[in-house]
Amino acid sequence: MLEISNVGKRYPTPRGPLTVLSDVSLSLNRGEAAAIMGPSGSGKSTLLYIAGGLEPPSSGTVTLDRVNPYEAPEKELAAFRNQSVGFVFQDHCLLPQCSVLENVLVPTLVADDRADYPARARELLRQVRLEDRLDHRPAELSGGEKQRVALARALIRQPRLLLADEPTGNLDEASAEMVASLLLELSGGQETILIVVTHNPALAARFPKRYELRHANLHPARA
Amino acid sequence: MRIYTLLERNLAWYWRTNVAVLLGVATATGVLGGAALVGESVRASLRDLVIERLGNTDSIVTRAGFFREELAAAFQPAAPIIVMDGVVEHEASGMRATGVQIYGLDERFARFQGQPGDAPRGREVWLSAALARELGAKAGDEVLLRVAKPSAIPLESLHGRKDDVGRTIRLTVGQAGEPLREFSLRPQQGDVRAMYVPLERLQRDLNQAGKINTILVGRTSGEAPLEQRLKQRYTLADVGLRLRVLERPGCLSLESSSAAISDAAAAAAFSAARSLGLSTQPVLTYLANSIRVGKREIPYSVVTALDSRLAPAGEDGITLNDWAARELAAKVGDRAALEYYVWRSDARLHTETAQFRVERIVPLAGDADDPGLAPDYPGITESKSLRDWDPPFPLDMSRIRPADEQYWDRYRTAPKAFVRLARGRALWGTRFGSLTSIRIFPPSAAYDAALRAALDPAQAGLMAIPVRAQSLEAAQGATDFGEYFVYFSFFLMVSALLLTGLFFRLGIEQRTREIGVLRALGFSAVKIRSIFMLEGAVLAVAGTAMGVGAALAYGAIILLGLRSWWIGAVGTRLLSLHASIPSLAIGAAAGTITGLGSVAWTLRGLQPVTPRGLLAGERKNGRLRWRWMAGTVAAVFAAALVVAALNGRLDQAAGFFGAGALLLTAALLFQSVWLHARGLRGIVGLVTLGLRSVQYRPGRSILCIALIASATFVIASLEAFRQDGSSAGTGGFPLLANAELPLIHNPNTAAGRAALNIPPLEGVRFVPFRVRPGDDASCLNLYQPRNPRILAPPPAFLRDARFAFQGALGSATNPWLLLESKLADGAVPAIADANSLEYSLHRKLGEEFELAGVRYRMVAALQDSVFQGELIVSEQNFLRLFPDSQGYRFFLLNAPPGKVGEVARTLSAALSDYGFDVQPTAALLDSFHKVENTYLSTFRALGGLGLVLGTVGLAALLMRNVLERRRELALLRAVGYRRQHLFAIVLAENAFLLSMGLATGAVCAALAAAPAVAARGGHVPVASLGVLLALVAATGIVSSAIATAVALRSGLLGALRSE
Repeated sequence: MLEISNVGKRYPTPRGPLTVLSDVSLSLNRGEAAAIMGPSGSGKSTLLYIAGGLEPPSSGTVTLDRVNPYEAPEKELAAFRNQSVGFVFQDHCLLPQCSVLENVLVPTLVADDRADYPARARELLRQVRLEDRLDHRPAELSGGEKQRVALARALIRQPRLLLADEPTGNLDEASAEMVASLLLELSGGQETILIVVTHNPALAARFPKRYELRHANLHPARA
Repeated sequence: MRIYTLLERNLAWYWRTNVAVLLGVATATGVLGGAALVGESVRASLRDLVIERLGNTDSIVTRAGFFREELAAAFQPAAPIIVMDGVVEHEASGMRATGVQIYGLDERFARFQGQPGDAPRGREVWLSAALARELGAKAGDEVLLRVAKPSAIPLESLHGRKDDVGRTIRLTVGQAGEPLREFSLRPQQGDVRAMYVPLERLQRDLNQAGKINTILVGRTSGEAPLEQRLKQRYTLADVGLRLRVLERPGCLSLESSSAAISDAAAAAAFSAARSLGLSTQPVLTYLANSIRVGKREIPYSVVTALDSRLAPAGEDGITLNDWAARELAAKVGDRAALEYYVWRSDARLHTETAQFRVERIVPLAGDADDPGLAPDYPGITESKSLRDWDPPFPLDMSRIRPADEQYWDRYRTAPKAFVRLARGRALWGTRFGSLTSIRIFPPSAAYDAALRAALDPAQAGLMAIPVRAQSLEAAQGATDFGEYFVYFSFFLMVSALLLTGLFFRLGIEQRTREIGVLRALGFSAVKIRSIFMLEGAVLAVAGTAMGVGAALAYGAIILLGLRSWWIGAVGTRLLSLHASIPSLAIGAAAGTITGLGSVAWTLRGLQPVTPRGLLAGERKNGRLRWRWMAGTVAAVFAAALVVAALNGRLDQAAGFFGAGALLLTAALLFQSVWLHARGLRGIVGLVTLGLRSVQYRPGRSILCIALIASATFVIASLEAFRQDGSSAGTGGFPLLANAELPLIHNPNTAAGRAALNIPPLEGVRFVPFRVRPGDDASCLNLYQPRNPRILAPPPAFLRDARFAFQGALGSATNPWLLLESKLADGAVPAIADANSLEYSLHRKLGEEFELAGVRYRMVAALQDSVFQGELIVSEQNFLRLFPDSQGYRFFLLNAPPGKVGEVARTLSAALSDYGFDVQPTAALLDSFHKVENTYLSTFRALGGLGLVLGTVGLAALLMRNVLERRRELALLRAVGYRRQHLFAIVLAENAFLLSMGLATGAVCAALAAAPAVAARGGHVPVASLGVLLALVAATGIVSSAIATAVALRSGLLGALRSE
């Protein structure tokens, strides 16, 4: 269970602290999926990064299955991200120097177990319909394909929490549709908690839970 | 997928950046390893030269005088030879070479060197290639050899033949320039200028049949030390001593071939006699020009000083034999005057008189009739009559009466008068000794061995010298080229490392988002850093491997330069690259470590940034307070070093490099603080945009400034060190001269000029210096001077207070007079040129140089003078230390302006028999400056290379900045900026960085070089320095402009479309 309790985030600026999030709370159980919407600069991505252990909150707590990652030292925090969280960014953030298969396997390089990750990576890539592009480089893929690789990479460690930051923001409609479907399908299959930040109402509409970030606060989305 | 795979992918994907990093590390390794290789190669080349030229020679047994060639049989393998310096003239062309090494050798030498049958014979001589070239001589040509004539009698004693100091020998060139004819005992980097003469021929022409002055001794194993073997096998004849058995009065008489027994030999003689229970009687016999009593006199009489029963009781008493008393009509109690010649150290014959009281008159019989009391004087002793005398001093034959001839005929050298030994020694003792013989009573067959045991042959001038070991030691070099090249390459290496850091930094910045992704995927910061470190390590190791090759190439190029363009610095083309594993290993280790350090330094900035920040491309800067503190500490230390160097408490080179590095560090840290603190806020206009970019990436900007500053520092400081043609170091003397053969007469007196056959020359004044030959201590000699040449000027020269001094002990107004001071601990005060002192002798003022057991303390340092090749001591100390040294061989010459050339030609011709080589003092000084300036040119070339690296860095930064800011620049185009506006903006940034680098380097160089410049008289070549810096600035601006134009050529508006 993901428990975000009274999280606040402030950034220091020359003109005083800038509050991006204030007293934000959110609970999601295993297998649940939520979409978060809001205007640019409302703090959606910040919330996502705080939930994923990428940026500590200024106040409040984040726990995943009752574990607060920010209470752990840097090494354990990194292990938490590696093992428990999967990220999908708007800009896929693939390593251009690595092949599709290798990009998916990148998180396993620092995994502390010795599972058969290559087989799992191939399976994930089959599921995202890229089984015939294993040895291709990111530069040889379309935007949708890159994002599907990013999705496969996010799931390679079977995370408990999958976070997607505008995953379809740079995609055409067909690709966006495919990525969205895969997100829901694959995360649902793994009982993963899924949070998607998006501007796209159509994408948000596909999620059972929808929230909106306004004035630094999280509100249930209006229908 | 493994970490290794990721590493492989990273290396391949970012190959452009990686190649740049790799090249940076390779350059750093190459520069450092190459510099070390240069040092090692110079040393190894000098070593090779010594080994090649010595052949099988390991040690030598040598003496200033001649000794039996049979002594060579005591050492095996060995070869007896004669070693001299001489003047060689090519008869047909008249070409003359002075300072030629003359070797008299025969088949034994050939066998010793492993080349049986390879020795000149008859009248044939061989010339070394360099000498043949210099003379233009070829086989069959006639050459005239002029060498000093050996004389057992000291030239500066009464009986020395001062007008007959040389011998000319006509010889025929047999072989000239054969590659094997390069034997030399003298370690020198230049070509061997030597003539190889048949030993027998030289012995005959020098009247030294069966005698030599050097034995070459080969390496042997398991034998006693050479000194020990020498001591066991030498004879008294080998050290110029002989024992005569005198039937009457029944004793042994120890005499010297020089006619005077040295104090050391006398001491040994007494000691040996004591050890055998024998009694001794020291004797000093002298020639009086006249013995006068009242108005009567007898000419040319032998007088003996001794403490026997013949001697008077009183110090002023004299005993006459009855023949003399009769001739003088003298009776006991009469006053008697002895008139005699003495040769004083002012190079003049003086007639002096001593007064005595006739105390005794003894019959001319028994002990009083003893011709054996007088030593053998060539030209006198063997004469049949007084009129046949041929002494080297004037005789008035008209004074000789028949009675005198009868006395000579009957009694020969039997003394006519006797005085107390102490009185005789006071009157006639010389630095060569104050006894003419020592009588040992009774005669003992064991005395010879006892004396040889008591006498150290080295004290008698017969020395065993480990010439190979000494030469190899000298081959370590006066100047550690490796050290200097490392010093000057240091800034080049720093430039390379800065460039490495810059490129690596650019690579990291390019991959900031990638790092963010890795962090998001669960890679810890440590893990990511280790991946990058691993990448850096691979690059550093690969770069090092390339750098080893580069080091070899760099070393080879530098040595090629030293053999060709910069030959003025080393004076030899015989340097070759020696690939030394330790030197390469040092370069490799330093390259790897510094490369990794550079990478680690770049990576250190990654840690404080959050993954999200990294994903957004954020970077954090270090703490400014730390930079302030570090900068201040560096500046304080730099100031301390400058002050220490100014006060002479610190070596100038160490002060310069230490202060320079610290000043640069401090300046860069302060600039870093300034840029981080947005110090450029106030500037307005188009340029503002460019200058703001300087602050956008302050780290990059500082790296660029550091690159330019390092190169500028080297170039500017070297210019400050450059020597011009200042004449201060000549002491106002337009000419100087070296003579191959000593001048015994004083050329400043009419008599001396007449004796030397010098025509009248108005306004010409000689300052004659005594010379103890030795190693050249100037920068013209690459070998370490183990045994520097020593000069002694006359006392009057010291009082003239000529020449400028760089420093002196105490606060002497005329530091020359310090040479005459008595140092409490017995050290000998000495003066040397400041350059030689620091760079060749490696001493500071107040420090000592030990030579053959004598400590020379440096009491003053001359400033950039003609005396760069020697130590200078007082004449008094010189004569005490080197009593056997004869005459004058170095001269400073005054000549009227406008007649300098004529004087030089006239003197060279008049004194050609002496190998008198006159040269303008300015020319000698220029030759020293040429060496120094060539070094500076060499190092300036390294500075130039650093500048190239700096320019590359600047261009790379510029291109990178433009690429990063394409969207910004595209936007400016979109809102109406023209290309030239953008050009101005970008160029302003680079011009600023360039100016900062130039100013930083120049100011730091000025401060660091201040002590050295002040020590050289404070002259700074402002004009040439200004031109140089302007050229550097222009080069930087032009290259920046080209890079800017290239960077802006690509379509910028495309960058907007990706928005």
